Amino acid sequence: MARSRTREGLRSLINPGSREIPLLETPMTATDQTGAAVPPPQAVERVPIVTALREIAAELSGYRNLLRQLVIRDLRVRYKQAVLGAAWALFMPALVVLSGMLVRFAMAQMTAGSFDRTTVAALALKGLGWGFFAGAIGMATPSLAANANLVSKVYFPREMLPVATVLAQGVDTLVGSLLLLTLAPWLGVPLSTGLLWVPLLLALLFCLTTAVALLLSCANVFFRDVKYIVQVLLTFGIFFTPVFYEPAMLGPTGAHLVMLNPLAPLLEGMRLAVLDGQNLLLTLTAPSPRGDVAAWSPWYLAYSAAWALGGLLVSALAFHRVEPDLSEYV
Amino acid sequence: MTDPGVRCEQVWKRFRRGEHHDSLRDFLPALLRRGRTRRTVAREFWALRDVSFEVRPGEAFGVIGPNGAGKSTLLKLLTRILRPTHGTVHVRGRQGVLIEVAAGFHQDLTGRENLFLQGAIMGMSSAETSRKFDQIVEFAGVADFIDTPVKRYSSGMNARLGFAIAAHLDPEVLFVDEVLAVGDLDFQKKAYARMRELVRSGIPVVMVSHQLDRIAELCTHALLLDHGTVVRQGTPQECIAHYLDPDRGGFVPHGDAPATIERLRLEGTGDVCSGDRVRIGLCGSIGEDGVPEHIDPVVVLVRNASTGAFVSAIGTSTSDVKLSIGPFSLEVELQMNVPRGIYVVQAVVWDRRAERALGAGPSLMLQVLEGVPFVGPIQLNGRMLVA
Repeated sequence: MARSRTREGLRSLINPGSREIPLLETPMTATDQTGAAVPPPQAVERVPIVTALREIAAELSGYRNLLRQLVIRDLRVRYKQAVLGAAWALFMPALVVLSGMLVRFAMAQMTAGSFDRTTVAALALKGLGWGFFAGAIGMATPSLAANANLVSKVYFPREMLPVATVLAQGVDTLVGSLLLLTLAPWLGVPLSTGLLWVPLLLALLFCLTTAVALLLSCANVFFRDVKYIVQVLLTFGIFFTPVFYEPAMLGPTGAHLVMLNPLAPLLEGMRLAVLDGQNLLLTLTAPSPRGDVAAWSPWYLAYSAAWALGGLLVSALAFHRVEPDLSEYV
Repeated sequence: MTDPGVRCEQVWKRFRRGEHHDSLRDFLPALLRRGRTRRTVAREFWALRDVSFEVRPGEAFGVIGPNGAGKSTLLKLLTRILRPTHGTVHVRGRQGVLIEVAAGFHQDLTGRENLFLQGAIMGMSSAETSRKFDQIVEFAGVADFIDTPVKRYSSGMNARLGFAIAAHLDPEVLFVDEVLAVGDLDFQKKAYARMRELVRSGIPVVMVSHQLDRIAELCTHALLLDHGTVVRQGTPQECIAHYLDPDRGGFVPHGDAPATIERLRLEGTGDVCSGDRVRIGLCGSIGEDGVPEHIDPVVVLVRNASTGAFVSAIGTSTSDVKLSIGPFSLEVELQMNVPRGIYVVQAVVWDRRAERALGAGPSLMLQVLEGVPFVGPIQLNGRMLVA
């Protein structure tokens, strides 16, 4: 039974065969209703996950130089076009911090709460994290479609394009982080064992960002309006992520809800570990007018880690699946 | 038996034609409406149907055919840009690709930066690109502009740099698309020489071109594609002759010709240089009703394969050859006073009054190599004798 074209297209999108398809021993005599010859039926072999992962790893290592060159290209183009040069790297996080300061200042005025240097430090820390995520996704989503001439004419592992934009954004964020590091003593950032959590949190943030970047970049090839939707989501996403505020401010239920955003525990964990020296394996409860709020729980971290690692696995496999179709649709 | 560097096994490639939903705004409502609307029939077409071939080291495989025959699709399948719908494609070793070579250039980056980027795209390491840097820049002739953004390059410089990078990869398998139409005459010569060097280095080569003389000169094997189907596979001469079949020249078959020409054969070896004389044997028969006055039972036409233009014609009436009823055998001598290239010699029954051929006669392909430099005029000094 013939399905609609849409369905057919979608199915081939989510279920393309393997690259090397074994042939069945069928004579070439089949014809369709119109009498035109059709190819022999053949079994579509599903590639085992381990094989697919091995293929991905082999391709990525074989094209290391290309990845490096693409990152260099992205950075060069970014800094060449921007009048501000290296200041560009600070522009976005600085804007986030300033908006956050405005919001927090207004909140402090209303509730007679505190607004001090630690608040600014928290904003800067989470602003950098958010800036990395938003910047990387914003650049990565159109990366395949924008390089259509390359994708349709030369073969290379297509993962390279979105991953390179994430890495380039990482370099940008690194510049911002160095500035934050020099300001750290003034902002009152203590030296504590909590800092040891930073590498893990950064690694998870990178995995999560890469996972989303891979999915959205290929989605944008098949559906060209994805990049506009992503822009809108990124603009307002900051309000659904605890950047300007702490989850505890939302009360017991609100805190739990906002922590469902996989990005939230990573940013919040960063703040707690760096500024409060919190051991992320311990639970932290904060008092609030409506009862105790679970400000932190190791489960939050486990939840984010599951999203980041599971998401990366799933999106890498999905990307690998549709990769051969990208050049046809791009 | 050596392992083929390139192998295509029963390769089919399907494309979907017409619009498909390429935005979520169209796709999501369509998904919801699906049950209520009429089913749309997927308009699909097969760009390639059951193509199989092998190319071994030392072989150069030419793919020819009219526009839309599936040549570029085939090349894209070989270079892994596309994936076959059915069948397998196997290519062993590092691929060198001479296809629209400036594709990866970023306009805001300088020539030097683009050179490293493009090198990486083609699979070169940084060290390799550095090592070949001077050679590539020298070849492309852009030394003075290597630190200028590519957007300030002329289109020729752009293409030259692109070709130079691709041409300096040390490939184990080479794919060539129509790329030599880049740059000025000097560069084209240089590029062609470089390509010939690569093709003759003994690696498997697959080459797609409309320049039939190049295919004839460089390739050892050829494939003629039309509408995605293999029409002919064999020597370049066979395929080119088939491609240039008189039916394509606009001669329609004609049932009631008073004479038939059965065979056309080149005497001697195939190597012909400008100015050489060639002898062509020809046989056929005259029908029982004889031949009317206004019809030439045999006219030999010579056409330039690249342009399709007629170069010369020699007929029974112009040569005062009289043929009687029954089988005949003729010998035609032509002095190939023509520039190098590929020529098609074709024998037809010719109606002088209507000025057209009565049906398509046999043809053969002649490759003329550079001999005595040709200065013109074209005069084939044709002679026709009853053998």
